[in-house]
Amino acid sequence: MKVEFVLNGKKVVVDVEPNELLINTLRDKLGVKSVKYACGIGECGNCTVLIDGEPVLSCLTLTVDVNGREVVTDEGLSREGLTKLQKAFIEEGAFQCGYCTPAFILMGEYLLREKQNPSIEDVKEYLKGVLCRCTGYINIFKAVLKTSSRREDSGNA
Amino acid sequence: MYRLPGFEYYRPLSLEEALVLLDKLEDAMVLAGGTDLVLDLKTGRYKPKSIVDTSGLKELKYIVDTGEALRIGALTTIQELVDSPIIASKTPLLWEAAREFAYWQIRNMATIGGNLCNASPAADTAPPLLVYEAVVKAVSTSGERYIPVTEFFLGPRRTALDKKELLVEVVVPYRNLERHGYAYRKIGRRRGHDISIVSVAVALRVDDGLITDTRIALNSVAPVPIRARSIEEFLLGKEPSIDLFREASKLVDRDISPISDVRAPAEYRLHVSRILVEELLLKSYKRAFKGGFE
Amino acid sequence: MEDPYKLLEKWMSSESFLVVGRGVYRVDSLDKALGKALFTEDYYIDYFLENALFIKQVLSPLPHARIKSIDASRALSISGVYGVYTARDIPGENQVGYAIPDQPLLAQGKVRYPGEVVALVAARDYEKAIKAAEEVVVEYEELPALLDPLEALERRDVLIHEERGSNIAFQTRVRKGNVEEGFSKAQVVVENEYRLHHQEHAYLETEAALAIPESEGRITVIGGLQYPHLGQKIISRVLGIPMSKVKVVAPYIGGGFGGKDDEGPLTCAKAALVAYLTGKPAFILYSREESIKIHPKREAAVIRYKSGVDENGKLTAIDVTIIHDTGAYANRGPFILWRATMHASGPYEVPNAKVDGYAVYTNKVYQGSFRGFGNLSIQFAVERQMDLLAEKLGLDPVEFRLRNILREGSTTLTSQVLDHSVGVGEALEKTALKADWWRKRREIEEYNKTSERFKRGIGVAVAWHGISTSRAVPDWSNAYVKVELDGSVTVYTGIVEMGQGSPTSSHVQIVSEILGVPVDRVKVVFASTDAPDTGATHASRGTSIGGVGILVATAKIRERMASLAAKLLGVNPEDIEFRDGRVYSKSDPSKNISWRDLVREAYARGVEVSATGYYYLPKGRFDETVGQGFAYPAYSYIVLITEVEVDTWTGEVKVLRVYPGLAAGKIINPQQVEGQIEGAIAQAVGYTLMEYLYFNEKGWVVNTNFTDYVVPTAKDMPEIEKPVYVEDRFKHGAFGAKGVGEMALIPGPASIANAIAHALGVNITSTPLTPWRILEYTRTSGRG
Repeated sequence: MKVEFVLNGKKVVVDVEPNELLINTLRDKLGVKSVKYACGIGECGNCTVLIDGEPVLSCLTLTVDVNGREVVTDEGLSREGLTKLQKAFIEEGAFQCGYCTPAFILMGEYLLREKQNPSIEDVKEYLKGVLCRCTGYINIFKAVLKTSSRREDSGNA
Repeated sequence: MYRLPGFEYYRPLSLEEALVLLDKLEDAMVLAGGTDLVLDLKTGRYKPKSIVDTSGLKELKYIVDTGEALRIGALTTIQELVDSPIIASKTPLLWEAAREFAYWQIRNMATIGGNLCNASPAADTAPPLLVYEAVVKAVSTSGERYIPVTEFFLGPRRTALDKKELLVEVVVPYRNLERHGYAYRKIGRRRGHDISIVSVAVALRVDDGLITDTRIALNSVAPVPIRARSIEEFLLGKEPSIDLFREASKLVDRDISPISDVRAPAEYRLHVSRILVEELLLKSYKRAFKGGFE
Repeated sequence: MEDPYKLLEKWMSSESFLVVGRGVYRVDSLDKALGKALFTEDYYIDYFLENALFIKQVLSPLPHARIKSIDASRALSISGVYGVYTARDIPGENQVGYAIPDQPLLAQGKVRYPGEVVALVAARDYEKAIKAAEEVVVEYEELPALLDPLEALERRDVLIHEERGSNIAFQTRVRKGNVEEGFSKAQVVVENEYRLHHQEHAYLETEAALAIPESEGRITVIGGLQYPHLGQKIISRVLGIPMSKVKVVAPYIGGGFGGKDDEGPLTCAKAALVAYLTGKPAFILYSREESIKIHPKREAAVIRYKSGVDENGKLTAIDVTIIHDTGAYANRGPFILWRATMHASGPYEVPNAKVDGYAVYTNKVYQGSFRGFGNLSIQFAVERQMDLLAEKLGLDPVEFRLRNILREGSTTLTSQVLDHSVGVGEALEKTALKADWWRKRREIEEYNKTSERFKRGIGVAVAWHGISTSRAVPDWSNAYVKVELDGSVTVYTGIVEMGQGSPTSSHVQIVSEILGVPVDRVKVVFASTDAPDTGATHASRGTSIGGVGILVATAKIRERMASLAAKLLGVNPEDIEFRDGRVYSKSDPSKNISWRDLVREAYARGVEVSATGYYYLPKGRFDETVGQGFAYPAYSYIVLITEVEVDTWTGEVKVLRVYPGLAAGKIINPQQVEGQIEGAIAQAVGYTLMEYLYFNEKGWVVNTNFTDYVVPTAKDMPEIEKPVYVEDRFKHGAFGAKGVGEMALIPGPASIANAIAHALGVNITSTPLTPWRILEYTRTSGRG
């Protein structure tokens, strides 16, 4: 089946079987590397993507279901350079092995879009679906909170 | 866990078309979100010949307040329930359960209809819907019928739905529960997302100092999500008190039949069901009377 | 000057640093933040998806059985299937045991645990490989299985490894002083049996390897492993080809925690075997379920511990028996047991000790390396004992520990005198002060008197962890450093990047500090057998020991460059300073030359600007018969103070706050150190409260997925305070650094358990502390 959608701002057309999962289309056919397999059953969130702006799991999504929709991955968040949140991840040391990092960045961006000034509890609630085995999450919280307060600063200026 | 086995794929764009497909196809399963079915296809729990993908049926996504009940389209996602002020104000138990449901990415995909039709003993939306005595609307090419949620689950992964029927709507009556106090709690192995060890939803009404209605529902402690009828009957007409609630909670043993598995031992499920029933009866009572016994 | 010991000593005595000790950003940050970092599977997808064979493993469903026959004919008849490979196809030696030669790469004659790999199926793609693996028919003759280590210890009629004559894989012992005499002097004696459970690593990237046959019979393997040179050795042995024909590199690794130290080389060897036999590139990737079934776990342990103290609160004797459930193969079990045994006193002085250790085979998934390496379970027992002894003596737990704590000049369990780098006492005092220990403990006890349902507790646990390999087992560091013509620096190391950040932060900082070149001009090529053998990235040695080779090689180059610069600037070499890409005379900074020009001069004037940094760690003698002598060159130490709240009705435990205190020598990058501590605490919280393997009656692990092997989420984390650092420099570590990576996990479970015991007033002797286990404890204490 022919499926057409917008991936990170660019229109793509792929030919897929109906049983093909979005994670495999993205990784095997469209050069997306940030979307990761870790559990395959919707427990780890490492395959998170934004579809029409909403976070979902690409390992439980059929590629045919994104026909006509817009898919964003970590690679597509910024046209040039880094987003503020990506920068904050670097500054706060919010990753170690880096395997889960793109999923956290997507969820963090989503949160910051929904809530200007999230509380630490909001951050935990939004991020809880992505598992990280390295960092203990603390520096990830710091990176997200830091980005939000910065937004507030620029708003005041 | 990387790929799905093959199947014939259908994506109807109208309810009509969907029903015709379900009528015609042998061995078809309905995809309504995918957070259960896709992984069940991966693990081989189900090996259907055909998949009917409902993602094109936008008409089954709605929340309508009739004044007596909420009519919720079967393809409404759990996150849409969380985000709905109507759900929060009219059916707060359902709202609380939806908030505790898995996590953001899953809630954006999972639908209320899918959660019910999957018929897991741990279905998160089941306890509140059992308390509200919701009714589901099932349609097929030969007509429609309404099935009370209390009669919907027949066993683990088994429902009262016919193969050719599609669950299209969940009707949640709330009017007659407006004077009830209510409470909900889910216990899992961690604070983040988890399959419940048990979750309990309670609604309680007191008139003139006597209990006139109690509804208690639990999941994960029986082959299907269930109501704790023994406790409900026991409480009817009695004067609420801490001691009464404690005594009542012990009767949960008669209603549930938990098993031991990797997630928790049966004894623990039994124990914590009692604790939760007691705690939530008290909380419901306090909510109904703003302050309770203090 | 080229002497590695003198060079290290010289840099150790530096007091001020430009780059070391600061939170420099990691060089992998940009790729990781943008999602561009490549892991093993990414190389397969980018370059080999269409032309590498996909390998699927055929696993034993039985715990213990003889293999009667393997029939691959049906599998081979599927189009696109290239081959089915079993033990008899192995051209070299089918032997991969790290400590004892007891383990085949592919099952030979027998299977010894459910999940053991019997055959490899290679097919054109994933689907075909899966299908073919299901069609391989293995006929078994089932044998009686032993699942309980205590039973296996006694049984002689059922032997898991017949050739070994018993089910004991390995034994250890310590005999120090006179234990009977020690106990006769004791005023208080405490004796308990502790039971600790398995732990799954749950690294998010599962095991993967890609093997590529190359010209002249060479083979290159890209895979997730923690010691490329060990992978090289294992592959060479399995294929029967020289090590020089095998190249192994690890790209970014999605977490290791020890698991990929054991399984990584085997993963690589499986891919290499298929590539070698077919002449085609071959790729293996474990599914999550396969990963949990197949790879080794943190050992489960039974520990019997008796300890005594005299009226002054000083330990007089310990008598300890350690039994490790080793599972089907010894793997690194003997080393793990050895480490547990030699750490059995905890970081305390004990004059009389008897310790016996047994690693016992069972028909379950075998134990292996996991952050802490045998030390977590024994420190749990030690630290529970310390609390119980303190309670019986009526002493505060911190005060009691301080009376016995190791200090400079102390004698360890193995009678080794600690001559330097013993900051644990200071770390304990400072951490207790920071946590406001004494006041909080009193306040909590007051709170618990009136709170019926919710109880709070605060607990302390201290741990030590020997640096480097144990006893006289050789340990060394090395690296190859070269300065390119443009002044940029390339470093080759075997240390891998699995998240810990040594090659992407501290190694870069070391070079930048010594040569005064900016960090972005330093490239560390990590995890490659092109580098000299650097040893493994395990035992918390990536920075402290792995960094020494880099320090020495870089320091050699600096000495040469300083002489050259001195000549060019007309000053003394001692007057030369390297900073910010220039080389100055300290006394007259107007005399200077850019680093780049200096490098050009070196190339022109015959000064070698490349060097290796071999550094051999001096070791002492050890007598195995009594477990006495030189065990480790030094120890890292950590203190964790933990606050918890327990719902005594539901049994749920909430870890509220943790105060860490670390004595791990020089802290090279504080941000990375904090990350290690926080990550380790997450794993400790998981291990203690929610993670467990659930075995069925056939020895199967039932919970082989993330639905039922649950690890902490963002919602499960306690608050973690800034660590207290005591920088007790280690003379064989880079700038005096000791290991950090494993530390906070080691006393984590003990610290949580001590806090729970404080909250509930019960004696806790086992893990995991699931809600139902907590309720059992409260019930037995008559409070439930």
